[in-house]
Amino acid sequence: MTTTAETRDADDVRRNLLEFLKQRAKAEVEPDFDLFAGGLVSSLFALELVVHLENAFGVTVGGEDLKIDNFRTVDAMTALVVRSGGARG
Amino acid sequence: MTDPAAMTDPAALAADLVGDRAGGWDLAGRLPDDVVRAFAAAGVLCPQVPARFGGLGLSSVDTGELTAHVGALCSSTRSLMTSQGMVAWAVSRLGSPEQHAEHLPRLAGGTTAAVAFSEAGAGSDLSGMAARIEVDGDKVVVSGAKVWVTGAAYADVVLVFGRYGDGAAAVLVPTSAAGVTVTRVPDPLGCRAAGHADVLLDEVRLPADHVLGGAGLPVEWLVTPVLTYGRLSVAWGCVGILRACLAATATHSRTRRQGGRPLAEHQLVAEHLAELHVAEQAATRLCEHASRCWDESTPELVSAAVLAKHHGAVAAARGASRAVQVMASAGARDGHPVARAHRDAKLMELIEGSNEISTLLLAERALAVWA
Repeated sequence: MTTTAETRDADDVRRNLLEFLKQRAKAEVEPDFDLFAGGLVSSLFALELVVHLENAFGVTVGGEDLKIDNFRTVDAMTALVVRSGGARG
Repeated sequence: MTDPAAMTDPAALAADLVGDRAGGWDLAGRLPDDVVRAFAAAGVLCPQVPARFGGLGLSSVDTGELTAHVGALCSSTRSLMTSQGMVAWAVSRLGSPEQHAEHLPRLAGGTTAAVAFSEAGAGSDLSGMAARIEVDGDKVVVSGAKVWVTGAAYADVVLVFGRYGDGAAAVLVPTSAAGVTVTRVPDPLGCRAAGHADVLLDEVRLPADHVLGGAGLPVEWLVTPVLTYGRLSVAWGCVGILRACLAATATHSRTRRQGGRPLAEHQLVAEHLAELHVAEQAATRLCEHASRCWDESTPELVSAAVLAKHHGAVAAARGASRAVQVMASAGARDGHPVARAHRDAKLMELIEGSNEISTLLLAERALAVWA
């Protein structure tokens, strides 16, 4: 597993997030699965996701990035990480 | 200022400002304005604001020890740390870079702040909030009735949570704005000098940039980061309550004699001392763990804060009850440290997630980890 923004790509981010969901929410999902419609995101887990993105990929998620659509699916979170400079596209 | 160390050391400053006056503040039901102002000006009420914004820039672990120190002296003052810290954290977490630059230096440099969640019809379930934040051109209009806002009686600015479109938002409302009425809760059970007040917002018009980022998020997304700071702060405050109880009961039971022996040599009294010691140590370790999670930005911080708060509040309420039992007539008057602890700790079982709500969150966590 790569560890810096320069060597990491979107697939690495996607894999990491799917693994995080598997560990923390006991959920094996597709990258385009709607986590909210699926009831997987509790109020505490929402913040854990934000902290995980920041910690694992060295990005800051604040202000206007805090939109529900940025967290709706693993694909959406992956795109957010890439946009924020945490991985290559 | 009598102690030169108080100029540079926040713990010494707190000891100097509070001195032996906390009991009198409890009886009077208020803190002197000059004391609140001195705490705010020194940045002690929100110690985690980074130095580049003029704050003390303390870690969560160091903030926690400072919070416990202040909490042992005066839970009302510690409550102001919790409130102001939550506002500063909300600005850090939700605010834009422009909002950081504008508000954080003020919050770390003298402006006093409180945070308004609860309403008569919305406490544990904040999705029932009726307060509204509505956009009107380049302004927002804030309307609602918030209750039991800790520190509001001293606050220059109140961070108000309300409905915003399909979701929620948080807006910084100066208490000097037209349409804001702050009314003290006259006789709180605990933390009597913490300036609890109801805050009425009657079509308060403000520039739209007073709304923090994240506007439109579901209410629980918006409040969870802020409550997480609050829970950790309350948890450390409970450590302080337990330390104050230990200091009072240990001294008393060594010096006070009954039946020809110090109280401490009576085994039933010794049990109270031992249980207080266990409670303080366990609460401290859970707080340290949660604060380390915070400082290392590990996702576990969210549930670790709930755990520390829940244990801390329950342990402080039981521990304070033991302390009153040991002190008996020596501590059974309002204003005495253990009498204050008894009432203050009970309030800690109600705020930032009641015992019942904390229990539900912890059950959710247990299922996530173990099922």
